[in-house]
Amino acid sequence: MTLQRDVIAPKNPAFDMSRNLNLPLSSAIRAGAFIFVSGMVAIDPSSGERMHGTVAAETRQALIALAQVLEAAGSSLTKAVKINVLIYSMLEYNNMNEVYREFFPDEPPSRTVCGARLSGGSKVEIECIALA
Amino acid sequence: MTRRLSRSVIEPVNPKLNVSRNANLPHSPGIRVGEYIFLSGMGPVDPITGGRNLGPIAEQIRQTLRNMAHMLESGGSGLDRIVKINIVLGDIQHYDEMNRVWREFFPVDPPARTTCALQLSNGNGVEIECIALGAANIPESR
Amino acid sequence: MREIIAAPTPGLDLRRHYGHHQTPAIRAGGLIFCSGMVAVNPETGEREHGTVTSEARRIFENLKLLLESSGSSLDRLIQVHAMIYDRIEYDVLNRLYRQYVPNAPPARTVMSVQIEAGFKVMLDVIAAA
Repeated sequence: MTLQRDVIAPKNPAFDMSRNLNLPLSSAIRAGAFIFVSGMVAIDPSSGERMHGTVAAETRQALIALAQVLEAAGSSLTKAVKINVLIYSMLEYNNMNEVYREFFPDEPPSRTVCGARLSGGSKVEIECIALA
Repeated sequence: MTRRLSRSVIEPVNPKLNVSRNANLPHSPGIRVGEYIFLSGMGPVDPITGGRNLGPIAEQIRQTLRNMAHMLESGGSGLDRIVKINIVLGDIQHYDEMNRVWREFFPVDPPARTTCALQLSNGNGVEIECIALGAANIPESR
Repeated sequence: MREIIAAPTPGLDLRRHYGHHQTPAIRAGGLIFCSGMVAVNPETGEREHGTVTSEARRIFENLKLLLESSGSSLDRLIQVHAMIYDRIEYDVLNRLYRQYVPNAPPARTVMSVQIEAGFKVMLDVIAAA
C-alpha cells in the first residue's frame, strides 16, 4: 500500500496562512491515521492578516482558524489528540486557558503549553495533531 | 484494533552525521514506528568533518536541511515525505530569511510547520526536527 | 477512534488539581500522546520544585506510571521534547535522562522554554501504544 500525504487547505481562503501570509507551509497535512496542523495564529477572517490583540482574543481566533483547517480535512476539534500551545509569556497562561476551555467542552485532548518567542509579533500560536 | 506497532532506530548512512553516537547523547537520530519516522532535532553539522558549520543563518539552514534529507533517505524516506516540521531559531528576526531558504527545499506541497525562537547551544542559529512518512511501500508492521 | 487515558493516580490529574484543560494522555492510531509532564507528586498532585535532576526523575517516574497503566512503557517512547528552563543545565539533564532510556532511546529535541509554575523541566512525549 502506498503511503500518501495530502495537503489540506481551509475552505475559507482567509484562513489559508500559506497564501495570505505568503508562507512556505501547508495549513495541514493528512497522512496515515493523522492530520498534522501547522502552528495557527490569530487570523482576521475577512482580510486573512495576522490579528494582534490580547492573549484571550488571539487564543480565540487561533482556535477558530484551527477548527476551520480540521474541518477542511474532514476532522474536527473533537478528534484532536494533541495540542501544543506556545505563548509569548507564561504569565498569561490563565488568559489562554479560560478561552481554550470553551473550545473543548468534553474530554479535551492532551496538551503541552510553554513560553517561546513567536514570529510576526503573535502572542499565541497553536498547533495540533488530530485523527483523520 | 490492538495490533502493536513495532519501533526501530534509524541511523544516518554517513557516520559523521550521527550526532547521537558521536556526542554520546541519549537520543536516537530517528525512530521508525508504524508508517512514520520521527527525527531528533538536527543542526548545521558538517557532513565531512562532523563539526559545526556556523556561518550566516541561510547557510546553517541549508546545511541542516541537507543533513535532514540524508537522514530521511537513510531510512527510506525523503524531504518530500515530511508531514510536520518544527523549526527553532536562535533569533526570531531570522524568520523572513528562513522562509526564503525554505522554498528552495520545499518548493511544492510543503509540510505543516511551526516555528519559534528559543535559546540554542554552541552558537547554533537553528535546530530542526520532523515527522515524516516512511518508505512508500513497506510490509505490515508486526 | 481516540481513547482517553485517565490519570492512573490522583495526583496526575492536573485538570482536577490545577484547572489545566487537558487529559493526561490519549491513545490513537497505535500511538500515545501525553500532555507535558512536570514534577508533581503522583498521589497528592503537589508541585515538587527542585533541581533539574530531582524534577526530571519525578517526571520520568510519573511517565512510567502513566504509560504502564495503558500497556506501554518508557522503552516504547518515540519522541521527546525535553523542555528545560535554561540550556546551561543541559548536561545535568542528560545525566539523569540516560538512566531512564538506556537503550535505543527515543528521538529528542531539547527546547529551552518558559515552563509553568517556575518548573525547571517538562517532558512532552509521544510513545508507541
